[in-house]
Amino acid sequence: MREEIDVTGEVCPRPALMVRDSLEELGPGDELVVTGDYPPAEENIQRTCEKHGYGVSKPDSDEGESFTLRITIPDEALGPTTGE
Amino acid sequence: MAGEDAGGDRDSEPIGADPADASPDRGPQLTEYAELHGCSCKIGQSDLESLLAETGLDADRPELLFGVGEDAAARTVTDDRATVSTIDFFTPIVDDPYAYGRVAACNAASDAFAKGATEELSFLVVLGLPRELTDAAPAILDGIADAAASVDGVVAGGHSVLNPWPLAGAAVTATAHPDDLVTTEGATPGDRLYLTKPLGTQPAMGALRVRSGEFGDTVRGATDRSIPEIGEAALGWMTTPNRGAAEAFREAPVTAATDVTGFGLLGQAEHLAANAGVGIELTHLPVIAGTPPLSDLFGYGLLDGESAETSGGLLVAVAPHGGADFEAALDDRGIFYREVGRVTEPPDVTLADPTLEEI
Repeated sequence: MREEIDVTGEVCPRPALMVRDSLEELGPGDELVVTGDYPPAEENIQRTCEKHGYGVSKPDSDEGESFTLRITIPDEALGPTTGE
Repeated sequence: MAGEDAGGDRDSEPIGADPADASPDRGPQLTEYAELHGCSCKIGQSDLESLLAETGLDADRPELLFGVGEDAAARTVTDDRATVSTIDFFTPIVDDPYAYGRVAACNAASDAFAKGATEELSFLVVLGLPRELTDAAPAILDGIADAAASVDGVVAGGHSVLNPWPLAGAAVTATAHPDDLVTTEGATPGDRLYLTKPLGTQPAMGALRVRSGEFGDTVRGATDRSIPEIGEAALGWMTTPNRGAAEAFREAPVTAATDVTGFGLLGQAEHLAANAGVGIELTHLPVIAGTPPLSDLFGYGLLDGESAETSGGLLVAVAPHGGADFEAALDDRGIFYREVGRVTEPPDVTLADPTLEEI
């Protein structure tokens, strides 16, 4: 399954929380494509997803300040946790 | 802290007040007007360095003791007196306008303190507000004035404009004996490295912004400590002046200092290391209790030293034999401190598997 979420215009820390909620709806092997318009949100999303075992890639070169992240859920998904 | 006034002796709203309890006609919140908050609104360190290099402003100026590349600039006035000047302003870090003013002024003065200048502070206010928020101006100014008074300073004037994002802060001048000034350049391998406030203001303030509404349960469930309590603690640190820590410089062989801001502890350590031509090994992370899981939830990188700090503590390098003197000088003034690492041979700046301490 492939889902998309747009966090354009959202103020931190909301983008990372929105992505977290979306990921909870998905299962192993699924993919979430996140688009947004603010570089720090991209950094935060990438950091939290990588720490929690998700795969993160950038499908194409970003233009301006907008970004796209492709987040994949591994077969052995760790799922979002709150411990650091 | 429930029921206590976070804004000190003024009739301001406690920072921990639940927005859900607010009256229906409650006005717009300060932090809703900006996409970035507090020191998070700084432009990136590498972007800033490129800009300065591109325009030639990074060159040494013979008129100055130090300038661009340091937290503040210094000029010698007489043999025994130098003026230190700096400017700092940022978007709202909290919704309460009085608290915002206090944090903004405390943060602005911190750059002068980071250079060892602690006397005769004058604040020229920088204030920008959207039309809808001009009613907040008196409370913001009260906060700035009270913060200035808390360091024996004075509000000497300012400039105010209409602006889509709220901005507040100040240009600050302070004085010191030239021999008492400290830069980032003097750190030497072997020096002990101290930090004078715990970290974690960014996740604390982030949690306050989302603690009601759709993510309220998620945020409240992430940490054992209540979000308002974490917010109160963070506000307490952000409104604690670094003046006492700077006074302590004179009683110890301090070799370099800077204040921790939007670049985070690691970024600020890298800045200090680059200016001094040394490496740094960070081994200890004092953080505001309850903030690590919030940072994890928001992807802020607190435990990697990458979380932006607003009105953070001083990062101070002290010659190895002077650690005890510096600690005694801080203890005498009741100043918080932790030894967070040491200065090493260049070029690596590392934060590997640090000891975490919740304060």
